[in-house]
Amino acid sequence: MQSSVNEMTQPLQRPQATPVSWFAFATTHRASIAGLAVLAFPLVMPFTALAANILIYGLYALGFNLVYGYLGLLSFGHAALFGTGAYLCGIAIVHFGLPWYVAIVLGICGGLVMAAAIGALAIRTRGIYFAMVTMALSQCVYYLFYEAVGWTGGENGLRGINVREIDLFGLKLDFINPLIRYYVIAAFVIAAFFVLSRILASPFGAVIEAVRENEARARASGYDVTATRLITFILSGGFCGLAGALQALHWSIVPIEILHYDTSGIVVMIALLGGMGTFFGPMIGAAVFLLLENIVSLWTEHWQLVVGAIFMICVLFFPAGIWGTLIRRAKHD
Amino acid sequence: MARSITAFGSISRRRLLTTVSAGAALAASTFRINLVQAEEATIKIGFPVPLTGPYGTEAQDQVRAAQLAIAEFNDGGGLNGRKAELLVRDDKLNPGEAATRTLELVEKDKVNFVVGSLSAAVQLAINNVTKERGVIFNSISQSDAINEAADFSKYTFHEALNPHMTAGAVGRYAFPKFGKKVAFLTADYAYGHEMVRGFLDVGKTFGIENLGDIRHPLGTTDYSTLLPRIQSLKPDILCISNFGRDQQIALKQATDFGVKKTTQIIAPLLSHASRVAAGPQAFEGVIGGCSFYWGLEEKFASTKAFNDAFRKMYDGKLPSDYGALGYGGVRTVLAAVKNAGSTDTDRVIAALEALKYDFYKGPQYYRQCDHQSVQSVLVIKSKSKDLRNESDVFEIIGADEPSEANLRSCEELGHKA
Repeated sequence: MQSSVNEMTQPLQRPQATPVSWFAFATTHRASIAGLAVLAFPLVMPFTALAANILIYGLYALGFNLVYGYLGLLSFGHAALFGTGAYLCGIAIVHFGLPWYVAIVLGICGGLVMAAAIGALAIRTRGIYFAMVTMALSQCVYYLFYEAVGWTGGENGLRGINVREIDLFGLKLDFINPLIRYYVIAAFVIAAFFVLSRILASPFGAVIEAVRENEARARASGYDVTATRLITFILSGGFCGLAGALQALHWSIVPIEILHYDTSGIVVMIALLGGMGTFFGPMIGAAVFLLLENIVSLWTEHWQLVVGAIFMICVLFFPAGIWGTLIRRAKHD
Repeated sequence: MARSITAFGSISRRRLLTTVSAGAALAASTFRINLVQAEEATIKIGFPVPLTGPYGTEAQDQVRAAQLAIAEFNDGGGLNGRKAELLVRDDKLNPGEAATRTLELVEKDKVNFVVGSLSAAVQLAINNVTKERGVIFNSISQSDAINEAADFSKYTFHEALNPHMTAGAVGRYAFPKFGKKVAFLTADYAYGHEMVRGFLDVGKTFGIENLGDIRHPLGTTDYSTLLPRIQSLKPDILCISNFGRDQQIALKQATDFGVKKTTQIIAPLLSHASRVAAGPQAFEGVIGGCSFYWGLEEKFASTKAFNDAFRKMYDGKLPSDYGALGYGGVRTVLAAVKNAGSTDTDRVIAALEALKYDFYKGPQYYRQCDHQSVQSVLVIKSKSKDLRNESDVFEIIGADEPSEANLRSCEELGHKA
């Protein structure tokens, strides 16, 4: 189990027999290949706004997967990180009239700071307790933003995050155009791929997995387990904050539902569906999840029934997630 | 040679027969009409409503009534032969989903107009997406915020009532009749807060005494700790400002606690679907407001015509309050298209602003500054006896006539005069 899901996470492998060399190549260049896939993605989607949603949720799940898949902690409060990023980006534009790039940076910082605050309180617990503490804290964040009506619009949500044009070193891009909006979002997501890939390939990345594999052994080897956990959680917050900021720009609103525990639950679902602890799995999970929901709900009002059945089939036949199982197969071929 | 002629002749005859019969069948069927019209671009109206979720019943009624408005427009020849089409999307009562669906409707389906929504937050989300892209949006659910200058744009129209009008009408009816000591039981979210604000505003004129506002979270199923607190306040009137299932349960438990013996219960909005679902006992004697009730047909020919058309299309069923809004929202836009003679956005906006209409509930028009539909608000009382049919659940006991005096003023909303 462990060796199979880790395959994509270990770019530096002992040279293997020639039949799997393409696999090693793909693993080394995972960020570039993922980036290419993202660029071609809108061509195969029913509509661009959905493709952008999938990217954003994929990025959110990517950040979540860092904690869940690589560090081995199940967080049930990631909506707080995602939502804080979205709200900070939105508030920066609506209330302070700041440029879009400053708003995105503020969104990332929001995710980082919120993760530091929640992480500092929750990181000492583990297992089901960690899940419960993070969920409780994210509910606190929900009510904080819910009550701050003057800043967040409360129940009605934050409206007016209207960016019509993106000024890029003199190049003016029409942000209302769906394809341009998609590729601007994609640029940030691809950058995040490279950053994440770098983190995982670094010595620190190896420590993250060492902590997951055997905490006592990692500690005995001289690593500070608590600090590793906290730093990983904060990094995860940065990715989720970026995803939230992009979501705010894409929708031009931030609904209070973004902080609801449903949003925390969906990301667990997406990571499991795609394959926890795999690099590209969360993107696949987001694509399958949102696409299914979208297509089936056009077709019947009882879409939840159909989608639920398909999830059960996935759990039965893809125990390591869709991407995780494919990788396992590729490795054994 | 002869054989080939025979063969040629037989094919020719067969082909001739096929062509003639197909042509005849085509000429006889209504399909032909569709084929001819498909060549012209249809007028597309996006219709995001929460088909799944707690307001699914209301939303499905909205779709049925909107389809009726489309059918009537098409049967009437459309816009010089151009037909209209309704693109229904499920917004799942979620503003984010609604924003995505609206982006789909505008960017991919290239709809001419958007009508729909059944929640304050959802309509504000749709409105933000459509106004940025210069697409007309006619909202058919209640909100006070959508009238305010911050959210308004020239593309924004509001066919539904808003909490200020609804609570105002019920307050004006109830406060002089039942007493001045008023207690509130309120769902703790925007809709509830806006309703209470409306009641307190109108209450000032009548000098009511606010005994207290007891709030409950959305989705409360047990009011047994709240109701004795209300009873100990000894109010003349209890305002219950919640919606859907919360309203059904609160009214049922209030009845069981005997609140009705000493206190008149009023609600800003009595939902037809809730009343049908909860049954007559829980709602007995409760007074509230609504935008439409089919019983108006005794008063207005337009209501009679709407009811009859709806009955005919849907096996004798009668339209509900929210259904009527779906009809009104689509029909006004299509009427404006016809008056403007085009689907050009600016010309349709001008036509909507100029529209004086009576389509289903008596005279209405859109106010210039905030595009709020100025219309009557009905005050209704739930009844449990002498029910003529399964939809006969309310009696109309009063009405606020359409008047801008019952709306918040343009200055108050932040619009420049």
